[in-house]
Amino acid sequence: MAATPAPAKAPKRRLDPKRVLAAMGPGMVAALAGADAGGVATYSSAGAFFGYGQLWTVPVMCVLLIVAQETAARMGCVTGKGFASLIREQFGVRLSALAMLALLISNTTVTLSEFAGIASGLGLFGVPAIVSVPIAALAIWMLTMSGSYHRIEKILLAISCVFVTYVVAGVMVGPDWGDALNATVIPRFSTDPQYFSVLVANIGTTIAPWMIFLAQSNVVEKNAHADDLPYQRIDTVTGSVVASIISWFIILTTGAVLFPAGIQVSSAEDAAAALQPLVGDYATLLFGAGLVGASFLAACVLPGITSSAICEAFGWERGSDRSWQEAPVYRGIITAVIIFSAVVVVIPDVNLFGIMMLAQVINGVLLPVLLVFMVLIASDRHVMGEHANSRAWDGLTWFTIVAVVILTVVMFVLQAVGL
Amino acid sequence: MIYLSQLMGNPVYAADGEKIGSVSDLGIATGEVFPRVTSLAFKGPGRTPFMISWRKYVDTYDENEIRLKVPATEIRFSYLQPDEVLIARDILNKQIVDTRGMRVVRVNDLKLSDTNSTQLRLLGAEVGARGILRSLHPALERGALKLARTFGKAIPERIIAWSYMDLVERDLSNVKLSVSHKTLDDMHPADIADIIERLDPRLRGQVFAQLDDEQRAGAMAEFDDDAMAAELMGNMNETEASRMLSEMDPDDAAELVSELDYDKAEKLLRLMGVKEQRAIRQLLGYREDTAGRIMTSEFAALSEDATVGDAVELLRSLDEDFETVRYVYLADEDNKLSGVVTLNRIIVSEPETKLVDVCTDELVTASPEEDQEDVAEKIAKYNLLAMPVVADDGHMLGIVTVDDALDVLEEEHAEDLQIAGGAPADDEGSHAGDLVWLLRRNAWFFLWIVGTGLVTVLLRQLGSDLESALLACAALPAALVLADDSISYVTNFFLQNDPDDDDSPSMLGFTVKSVGIGVVLAALAVLAALALASSAHGDVSGVVDALTCGFGAASVSILLSFVLCPIYLVYLRRRDEKNEDASGFALSMTAMAVALVVFVALVVVRRVIF
Repeated sequence: MAATPAPAKAPKRRLDPKRVLAAMGPGMVAALAGADAGGVATYSSAGAFFGYGQLWTVPVMCVLLIVAQETAARMGCVTGKGFASLIREQFGVRLSALAMLALLISNTTVTLSEFAGIASGLGLFGVPAIVSVPIAALAIWMLTMSGSYHRIEKILLAISCVFVTYVVAGVMVGPDWGDALNATVIPRFSTDPQYFSVLVANIGTTIAPWMIFLAQSNVVEKNAHADDLPYQRIDTVTGSVVASIISWFIILTTGAVLFPAGIQVSSAEDAAAALQPLVGDYATLLFGAGLVGASFLAACVLPGITSSAICEAFGWERGSDRSWQEAPVYRGIITAVIIFSAVVVVIPDVNLFGIMMLAQVINGVLLPVLLVFMVLIASDRHVMGEHANSRAWDGLTWFTIVAVVILTVVMFVLQAVGL
Repeated sequence: MIYLSQLMGNPVYAADGEKIGSVSDLGIATGEVFPRVTSLAFKGPGRTPFMISWRKYVDTYDENEIRLKVPATEIRFSYLQPDEVLIARDILNKQIVDTRGMRVVRVNDLKLSDTNSTQLRLLGAEVGARGILRSLHPALERGALKLARTFGKAIPERIIAWSYMDLVERDLSNVKLSVSHKTLDDMHPADIADIIERLDPRLRGQVFAQLDDEQRAGAMAEFDDDAMAAELMGNMNETEASRMLSEMDPDDAAELVSELDYDKAEKLLRLMGVKEQRAIRQLLGYREDTAGRIMTSEFAALSEDATVGDAVELLRSLDEDFETVRYVYLADEDNKLSGVVTLNRIIVSEPETKLVDVCTDELVTASPEEDQEDVAEKIAKYNLLAMPVVADDGHMLGIVTVDDALDVLEEEHAEDLQIAGGAPADDEGSHAGDLVWLLRRNAWFFLWIVGTGLVTVLLRQLGSDLESALLACAALPAALVLADDSISYVTNFFLQNDPDDDDSPSMLGFTVKSVGIGVVLAALAVLAALALASSAHGDVSGVVDALTCGFGAASVSILLSFVLCPIYLVYLRRRDEKNEDASGFALSMTAMAVALVVFVALVVVRRVIF
């Protein structure tokens, strides 16, 4: 191995633009897929219920999202292993079972919310859920099973870019910029129990556990090494910033349009109304298409990620190129998650928008479980060597964990008192 | 029987009853079939790790505790020896390769020998569900076993013995293993390739790096995924990569080099020996999918005046890794291929016999530019083990061996199947199974629904009633199904006729024929419309009008489908020349979409005009 001398450790700080482009992608995908059904529902609710009251969360979330995603990508680069694999090897069977259970529940509810997103998005075009959901479920099942969803990934991504219109819409409605900026910088609290559940949902949808797994497995699949870290970081940061800008504008727009009108967002029609000033009657059309596209994309990705992580942790065969005989568990979990989600959504008179919000709350509540595993692994020098977490990173992750736990407790207490 | 999961965390008591720590790991001596446990690792107060000799200090052990023979003060600590493996750190929860079952598995628990004997030995790694359940809680395992028994089933343990384990993540190459230990290196290259393909990308590189040159070369030739093979090459350093290429058969090496980017390929070739380099460069000079590209330049050739004895001498002098010899070829004074002697004849003949006397001069040869599929078919037809590839001037360039021919046939078969609309060539998706197949077979039905919807909406915009719109669409299936059939017609023709064959119908012939079929079928559709119209009684002119409109549009659409056939054929042949995959399903979807659009357009246009 000594034949090619390692390049002298000269400060080769210059970044190669080609490699920057090559590293781009996973972060962006995660960011745009983050603006899925649950995301739009949560941000719209935040704006509609509390006006600019939760704008301050956006920069905070952005930093925390960067911390989580960067840690995941770094773990992938340094160890070459998936997150599930690391949990299993560091913590053994029992704790990985706990982590995987948390992931399974959280991802199943998110998948559920994606189906709710598809149903309510297509509902805007007059397609009833009883028709749209089974067809979507079948399509998603086939795409995931054959692993061929990559072929339509780009199309779906393009469709979900529709949510960028919120940026334009936000400018068009002419909000009170001073007030908005003020609200972004200075936190505003409320003792409304709803305020806390929306806050937890906000965290749950922004730093979704599945995004952490997705980010790490993408890096592992690309076989990025420790020296690719600077490039991965650029990808992570741009992706997170873009995601945050979109969510900021969604809250701003809904806060400026729906909040003064006193519209309580309880359905996709209500949420779409925020785009009315920009595109008028096309608002429902545009919103519906974006919602369906983003939800469909996330629904294609989620069952696969979940099943793959679980099988990775327990050493079962996985991958879409394995048959039912070779990988029964892998395929079984995907099928079960999709069927469960589809069946729940077609229950008559179920509140689709409520499901989307609830899923994000569950996501937020379970997030600390996985973050604890992440921070313990990432700060372990035996695993990460010189790339172990810095103090600041450790501190920020623990801060997220503690903050989410406190918020969750406050949320439950307030809800118990409120009822 | 005791399991590691039952020992881990148990308290360790010194002889005087003082608790000095809890079990954290066991060290084993790796040199045996069932390795002895040689050391005990435990965590003392403040989680400080200690290690002591098992044989010297451990008195009794069971699921609850470990008792030492001496008091705490008399213990002397030891260190991990180079041939020792810590089973909790290095094996438990890790991915290992089961070299007998040839799979990659994760270790859920480790099974140790009986607690009665003084010596504790590692029996194997448990990789089944029972290990997971037991590690979660022993009661879960018992419950599951009981439940299974009530249904008359047993959950067997899945144990991999130490001698069949390959710890992919820990390099044991400097540890002296027992003779019977079967590691990855002892497996067949094809199996090694299979295993490596199932690992994570990073581990792939590590495992690959552990193999010796010969194994690497063998495995490299066996990878199904060329891009992955190229990536593995990319991660090796250049001298090693070029050494491995020299080790490979030139034809496999050429295939691999062609996957690399130009600079890298040039660099590697330059590092290789002159002879090997020339062989690979020569092969790379031929187009892909020709005999020249898949032949190997390693073959045994002698001059015409040589004897059987010379041939034996030649065979003995060949390198170990020389391509297997099945025939010895003879060259005349102009260096032209003049005869071939089978190995059998050489073995049964006397050493003095002239090779010319025992050779066959009925030679079946291939030119280097010949299509690989034709060569493979010839090899099958003449029952050869290898076929000589001969340049235009008659001198011999190499041989195509029967194993390469089999690969070619398999590959071409998969491609043909895909064009014929069967399973796709890449096996991804073939598992989605019967449902997809059903949908594909009945795509026309869904398109019919789409078309009917379109026509209804458009016609109603123009003021027609629902019935006439629906009636017009009654003819749509004919147009769609026949468009689908036109593609089957094209693909059948494509698979049966080679454009280079002299006796295959020309493009013009095909065009005339397909247009002819189109005209006949279109005429049938018109006839059907006329028949319907004439059989109508009473005042149903609206119905008749709608039906004739539909069938008229269908007939034009059918005619067009068949007129387009030559274009599809040209497309298929282009793709084939460039060696790109083509999918019959995609083609028939295109054809049906065209038919649908034409049909809808005609119906709507007619409505607008009249």
